[in-house]
Amino acid sequence: MTSYLNIAGLKKVFGTFTALHDVNLDVQKGEFVTFLGPSGSGKTTTLMIIAGFEKATRGRLTIEDQSISDLAPQDRNIGIVFQNYALFPHKTALDNVYFPLQMRKVKRAEGHRKAQKMLELVGLKGFEHRHPKELSGGQQQRVALARALVFEPDLLLLDEPLGALDKNLRESMQIEIKRIQRTLGVTTIFVTHDQTEAMSMSDRIVVFSEGKIEQAGAPLEIYHKPRTRFVADFIGESNLISARITDVATRNTDSALMGPMTYGDSAVDGLQVGQDVTLVLRPEHMKLSRVPLAGCFNATMKIETIVNFGDSALVIGHRDGTVLRVRVPGADVIILKEGDDCYVNWKEDHVHLVAE
Amino acid sequence: MNQTMKIIGLFVVLFIVAPLVIVVPMSLSTSPSLQFPPPGYWLGYYQQYFQDPSWLRPTWNSVVIAMANTVLTLLLVVPATFALVRHKFWGKGMANIMMMMPLAVPHIVMAIGYYNFFGQMGIVFTKTGVVLAHTCLSVPITFLVLSANLKGFDQTLERAARSLGATPMQTFRHVTLPILRPGLLVSALFAFIQSFDETVVAIFISGRDAETLPRKMFDSIRQEADPVIAVISSLLFLIVLAALLAPFATRGIKSLGRGVASPTNTRS
Repeated sequence: MTSYLNIAGLKKVFGTFTALHDVNLDVQKGEFVTFLGPSGSGKTTTLMIIAGFEKATRGRLTIEDQSISDLAPQDRNIGIVFQNYALFPHKTALDNVYFPLQMRKVKRAEGHRKAQKMLELVGLKGFEHRHPKELSGGQQQRVALARALVFEPDLLLLDEPLGALDKNLRESMQIEIKRIQRTLGVTTIFVTHDQTEAMSMSDRIVVFSEGKIEQAGAPLEIYHKPRTRFVADFIGESNLISARITDVATRNTDSALMGPMTYGDSAVDGLQVGQDVTLVLRPEHMKLSRVPLAGCFNATMKIETIVNFGDSALVIGHRDGTVLRVRVPGADVIILKEGDDCYVNWKEDHVHLVAE
Repeated sequence: MNQTMKIIGLFVVLFIVAPLVIVVPMSLSTSPSLQFPPPGYWLGYYQQYFQDPSWLRPTWNSVVIAMANTVLTLLLVVPATFALVRHKFWGKGMANIMMMMPLAVPHIVMAIGYYNFFGQMGIVFTKTGVVLAHTCLSVPITFLVLSANLKGFDQTLERAARSLGATPMQTFRHVTLPILRPGLLVSALFAFIQSFDETVVAIFISGRDAETLPRKMFDSIRQEADPVIAVISSLLFLIVLAALLAPFATRGIKSLGRGVASPTNTRS
């Protein structure tokens, strides 16, 4: 399958600081891809290069095999929703949405009709003649989205657009953006540092760290099969246990913290006996018990803190000075007390190996 | 706020308002010279002002000079402000200081400088000379107002416009300029007022041909203390008052209009 957007060998240097090392990525037509990473990881820089606001030091950008590297931003036909929405304060919602059509020499009557339709699609019928400051944050967000979509862009870029919204609004906007994106089938790149946002919205997540792509894959693949320690740590909660390979065939390791441990699968090829690795155990894949459980790996732990969420609880404990996190169903937490000694248990299937 | 503060505040207000209380009645006075309190009231001096070419000519000169000054100042300061606020370049700090210099140098020093310099250039006692001198004096205040506006301008808006298909020129016309318009109007107003009001430099270099209103008033008060001066002062005060109140008035009218239009706007 040939890709729609192709990013090849992208490098960006600011003075003495290398913001992007060597970014390569293929995006399929209609795909919803999320760039996820901590601030300064290069995700926004990549976005700005795609938009044409930054020039890459090296590398190539193509859409449907046409290079866009040398095009000015206004010639790229890319819609962008900025973090602060960047609505024109002197124009009404309708004229904001009409603006890209106006720039494309669409007649006023027809342009307004199209803008109107787009505002209806984003659920803002009746708000056409309001100015941005007369709209709520969520409504401004919708106007920005309509404005970025009305000219049928080849690509939609969303730069942390939900950051300024409160939690409930953010969740409803996630669903809304996804619905609109599916309706129009527009290829979308979404930048965020919020992993739940990335998980719930994306077809594919691209994890950035220190100017490099750490891993790209479907949300569940990223979650369950992280390839590196960084990804395992950044996405979701995890217990990271340093260990050393003792037998490759039987997938056995030895760890200072837990003693002998067997892993279920590995993200690293060509493991050698004696190699240092990291074992990943998700808190929800572990259980707590008063006695060791048969058929499981067991280790003792002292409970330090219990954080209740209602439906579940996060139990934070200590073993030899190392913090362990275990997520248990809300109903089970009643019998646990802070300061108790107990056993943590897990099955080897849930132990995932990544590089050291 | 305690009692003492209130009393001090009251005196400050009285002190500021006092000249107005004196000037306006004097303009309506029947006295042949400036005298307070006036012996009687009439509108004769207003009539005299509007009929006397020796007053109307300087008024017209002042208006022409102030307008030319405003245009020239904006032509120079707008690009300079964009450069100084948005770009980094060698000598930027120095350029910033140069822009503000006319504010620091006493007008009398500038006036003597212009008198000599323009004399050699042959433009002393001409409108051109006064416009050039006033432009120089208008630069700092115009620059201060505009740069404050431009610093507060969110450049993401320009990026958004570009991404939506606007060229840099279209972006300036459709986004940057309309948003900066209030700031531009205020700085234009400041430039106009500063020129219209300027006296020291005008006394030195405006001469008979380019005589400005403040210069004429200064000559008049020295020679005859003509009550027409009070008339002009009162008129200027009224104009400035109107200019200051205009935004409130238009806002009031607009909100009235919106109040009427709202039932159709908020239908959803």
